[in-house]
Amino acid sequence: MSALDIIGVRKRYGTVDTLKGIDLSLESGEFLVLLGPSGCGKSTLLNIIAGLAEPTAGDVHIDGRSVVGVHPKDRDIAMVFQSYALYPNLTVARNIGFALEMRKVPAAERAEAVKKAAKILQIENLLERRPSELSGGQRQRVAIGRALVRNPQVFLFDEPLSNLDAKLRMEMRTELKRLHQMLGTTVVYVTHDQIEAMTLATRIAVMRNGQIEQLATPAEIYERPATLYVAGFVGSPSMNMLDARIEGGMARVEGSEVAIPLPVEAAAKGKPDQNLVLGIRPENLRLASDGEVLALEAAVDVVELTGPELVVNAMVGAQRITATLPPKSGIEVGSPRRFGFDAGAVHVFDKETGKRL
Amino acid sequence: MERRSLFVTILIHICALLLAAVILAPVAWLFIMSISSTTDLISKPLNWWPETVDLSRYTRLLTAVTNTEGAAFVAALFNSLRVAGMATVAALLVAIPAAWAVSRTPKVGWSLYAVIATYMLPPVALAVPLYMALAALGLLNTVYGLALVYLTILAPFTTWLLKSGFDAIPREIESAAMIDGARLDQILRLITLPLAAPVMATAALFAFLLAWDEFFYALLFTSDLRAKTLTVAIADLAGGRVSDYGLIATAGVLAALPPVLIGLFMQRALISGLTQGGVKG
Repeated sequence: MSALDIIGVRKRYGTVDTLKGIDLSLESGEFLVLLGPSGCGKSTLLNIIAGLAEPTAGDVHIDGRSVVGVHPKDRDIAMVFQSYALYPNLTVARNIGFALEMRKVPAAERAEAVKKAAKILQIENLLERRPSELSGGQRQRVAIGRALVRNPQVFLFDEPLSNLDAKLRMEMRTELKRLHQMLGTTVVYVTHDQIEAMTLATRIAVMRNGQIEQLATPAEIYERPATLYVAGFVGSPSMNMLDARIEGGMARVEGSEVAIPLPVEAAAKGKPDQNLVLGIRPENLRLASDGEVLALEAAVDVVELTGPELVVNAMVGAQRITATLPPKSGIEVGSPRRFGFDAGAVHVFDKETGKRL
Repeated sequence: MERRSLFVTILIHICALLLAAVILAPVAWLFIMSISSTTDLISKPLNWWPETVDLSRYTRLLTAVTNTEGAAFVAALFNSLRVAGMATVAALLVAIPAAWAVSRTPKVGWSLYAVIATYMLPPVALAVPLYMALAALGLLNTVYGLALVYLTILAPFTTWLLKSGFDAIPREIESAAMIDGARLDQILRLITLPLAAPVMATAALFAFLLAWDEFFYALLFTSDLRAKTLTVAIADLAGGRVSDYGLIATAGVLAALPPVLIGLFMQRALISGLTQGGVKG
């Protein structure tokens, strides 16, 4: 049975449609990431699942039971907030045990559960402190502990790592993944960070303007983005987008002589003279050897060394491309170079609809 | 600020000292008057410091012998304590739920503005209606009637103050408590009110001072020892044919003591910063 079902959920604030019909179904143990820029409605959706907001239309089922109109405390969920939302006046132990305290769990049993959660999160030595005496990472652990101790049907995370510095964020990300593998609880996780989404999720829902653009596994989102928007949002540096046209069953990139054979399905759907956008990920570009036909001639204008790779910016006619190459590629600014790629690495989108062909 | 020149530093200190002198001089003079003998007070040129310290007025004002100035003063002191105390407690009881509601429901914020707008009316405009209302309720010349009138003055102000206090407490904390299963009363009792304690203490202190210092309504609505407050009692001391300025000054010093003591007592609660650490930062 599915752990969480979202059926045609809409939310309207005044005249603004924040959510325009969301349908989702989550198997037990899945880790769903709602990914999107700020204002796309992902936090609103999370609040609706939590019961902090009610949908204007549609239904939410948790463990097969409709929870619309049900008080948050009776939904069998636990939530970790972006700001942690710890109770500043209570000790860490009471913070973690608060939900059990409210549910009248006996003190001894409560202490046991708090201790267990603290052990998992390695914060046993902090139990008697107050939140103000903790570092950001420790507060985050306490917030997770507070959710953990409940053993809920669904965990909700609202951008839990965005207040941490880069190094800590990576550590906590790994820890969250380990935690999920260990506990196997269903998770809904909101973030605008595509790396978090890719690394943590079993499935990602890319959201935009109150709608789901694509709902798929991280690999599929990366390898077969359904729309231009998804293609541009996921991946860093983001995918190269080149304007092109279908000419003679091939895609001809504007400002370049190269003709690229279309993948089978795109060739089937594409019409002559149709305007296309070709997507090629920067990591799929390489310096072309002399014999390569499938290559873009481009003038290099900026070269950035990140350490493990060299990020090269170049112009194909009036269109900019980015390529990530091995660090010792010996590229110089100003020189024209040919960037080769495999035909299979090309994503073809309809320019008008933005949909994948 | 590390690079401030000596001249600027001296200037700043002089300014601070001047400000302190301006504020403290009347208080200091009040105290000196209260311990000067009558001869010192009326001599010309004025004696800035009494030749002998005279504490007799303090004993005069703090006796309980009936039909003396002391009896009137002590009765007024207790009336003031009761009126200001009752009004403050009532104001907080009214203001806490109101302020929380307005803070968490911005839609009803206009109602608070409407109430605050009544502050624009001069007290004298309300004096007659209030008098008639109190008369009809049989509450004239009682501490309860006066406390009720003060409540109408204090409640909007404390609500306003508490609202800004509640605004500073992130709603996410209450959301978290809600998900954790706390009922509304538990959220308020265990989380919100402890976090708002510094603001509540500030509101209580200011409300108490406001009620303690009020003169106009007290003068109108009280007439004898049963309800007269300190401010009116002090005015009575000045009202006779012969005014003992030293006695008035002594009454002033004594009247200032309770608020000062309460302020010192609540100092700890007034120190804010309790909300630190619950959310980011």
